[in-house]
Amino acid sequence: METESTLSDALLRQLIAVGQCDVMVGLPTLNNAATILDVVRAVHISFTRDLTRLRTVMISSDGGSTDGTPDLIRNATFTDADRVQTSHPLRTLHRVLAPYHGLPGKHTALRTIFAAAELTQAKAVAVIDPAGPSTTPERVTELILPLTRGEVEFLAPRYRRHPRDGMLITQLVRPLVRALYAVALDEPLGSEFSCSGRFASHCLEKEIWSRESARFAIDLWLRTEAAAERFPMGQIWRPLPSSPASRATLREVVHQVVIAIIESLRSHESFWRNANAVSELRSWGTDAVAAPDPQPWDYHALAEQARRDIGEIAPLLEDVLDPGLFVRVMENVTGAGPCLDDELWVRTVYGFATAIQHGRAALEHMADMFVPLYMWRAAAFMMETETEPPEAVQARLDALCDVFQRLKPVLVASWSTNQV
Amino acid sequence: MIQEIADALVQSWRNFASAFVLFVPRLVAATIIFFGGFVIALIVRRAIQRALAWMNFDRLTLRSGASEMLRMAEMPPADVLIAKIVFWIVWLGFIVSAVDTLQLAPFQGLVEEFFRFVPRFLVALFVLSIGFLMANFLWRATLLASVNAGLPAARLLSGALRVLVIAVGVVMALEQVGLATGVVLAAFAITFGALMLGLAIAFGLGGREAAKSLIEEQLRAKRERESDAAPHL
Repeated sequence: METESTLSDALLRQLIAVGQCDVMVGLPTLNNAATILDVVRAVHISFTRDLTRLRTVMISSDGGSTDGTPDLIRNATFTDADRVQTSHPLRTLHRVLAPYHGLPGKHTALRTIFAAAELTQAKAVAVIDPAGPSTTPERVTELILPLTRGEVEFLAPRYRRHPRDGMLITQLVRPLVRALYAVALDEPLGSEFSCSGRFASHCLEKEIWSRESARFAIDLWLRTEAAAERFPMGQIWRPLPSSPASRATLREVVHQVVIAIIESLRSHESFWRNANAVSELRSWGTDAVAAPDPQPWDYHALAEQARRDIGEIAPLLEDVLDPGLFVRVMENVTGAGPCLDDELWVRTVYGFATAIQHGRAALEHMADMFVPLYMWRAAAFMMETETEPPEAVQARLDALCDVFQRLKPVLVASWSTNQV
Repeated sequence: MIQEIADALVQSWRNFASAFVLFVPRLVAATIIFFGGFVIALIVRRAIQRALAWMNFDRLTLRSGASEMLRMAEMPPADVLIAKIVFWIVWLGFIVSAVDTLQLAPFQGLVEEFFRFVPRFLVALFVLSIGFLMANFLWRATLLASVNAGLPAARLLSGALRVLVIAVGVVMALEQVGLATGVVLAAFAITFGALMLGLAIAFGLGGREAAKSLIEEQLRAKRERESDAAPHL
């Protein structure tokens, strides 16, 4: 059984003591001392106030925190005022600490949480971002309830963004997932989600966990796996996180996202090749309606950096891209200002995916080569939309999704024929 | 006198006849080995070419950069080149065997020499191939890492590394086949040493301040970049 090989003896003993449960809330922690108490308090209140009739467990899967995060969770005590409870809980409140072993990373933490959920036969599993400053009891509860009511089996967060915000999502991940997996998922990379115990058990049987790339790819993979295996999916409005979970650089993040995308495409090839009509997802939660202003950033400097970098790696791009595509990209890059129209951008993305699939260079190198092209596209989009109102920018994003969809046959055809 | 001349002629004829009787079968055998070897070498070449095509060897050579180098050197594609090399090794083996079959004094021991050389030659080819593979992998990795780190002259740096690794591979291959070993090694050592010494002096004397400011700039840029992914996610 997958569960037993994943869980340590100490954790097994703790979970056996817990017995069966209905809801498991997982916290994949790593040095979250600054925020963990608020998050644990929110989970605690959600359990004691809103989920009183359910058997609940909170599990912290810790990746080796050195700032005392596990101790804070273990010793956390909450007053009656904290609980704000309307009724007393009918069940014992369990809090399990599970330092995980194996490959470091969020995927190992999630694997531990899923294995614990399988062992305790949890019907709903919610994974909460332990760094999330905006985690409230209400938000924990609303992430769980659609699952316990059996309305959905995978619930992903969605954020009300300004259309010029989150370029990596809006220019690459969202339209790509929408076109290939035929599912209108707004935030394919979000760190929080909830799922059914059945989905957790299903995922445990897959081989993704042992792969090195799973460290970056797991969030996207979980969503695409749910889509590919036709688990009922939904989205829930959440407040836009004020800061990213990691302090990674743009290059590192783009690199990781490329690896995550390829991992998913390879895992679900037979599905996405045939997926067509995009299905809209039901939404839960409350839409903030007004999007916060986008974070300002210097896209002029990014464009210059991208131009320089693309010039430097031109011989590598020439090796991996189709000659016609390479020439068109270079014409754009050597032009006056940053410019990369939708169709050329989509063809470039598909060209890279094909080149990686056909092994024209190592995946790590290909991901690095893609970084300046993304930077160029992001800067070009920002400059083009500099004076446009949000509605017009949103229309552009919708149009980009359509181009990804329209050109999908190009990728499908080239994926197995070594041509773009 | 006449009798002696006649005896000598007869003896000479007999010697020639016996030598001829001995030589002709060898010649026939050598001819058979020569042409048979040619046919076998052709068959081996075809087999190698098909096996390489089946293994998608062209993709490997493309990835390693060997294809590009061969194209620049106006040489045939790598699979054709390997098949040709194997063809010539096989056929040369048969040619040497054929010559040895003739038992001509000047060519005695040729077969042993040849078969001693072939493994060294193959190892040299292997070393050269690995050198090309490594050179291109390092070139690509260095170029990307340098660009990512924002280093100036990324292409120059990676190109220099590529040339260096290829040079090491070539020297090792030449040493393996025993071709002017001393000269090649000495030339390489002198060139490499001079280059490194020159760089060290240039860096130590002329570029100390530049290196210092470069490192400081890199560290500052890294700090500034630390969370630059925020607006993109």
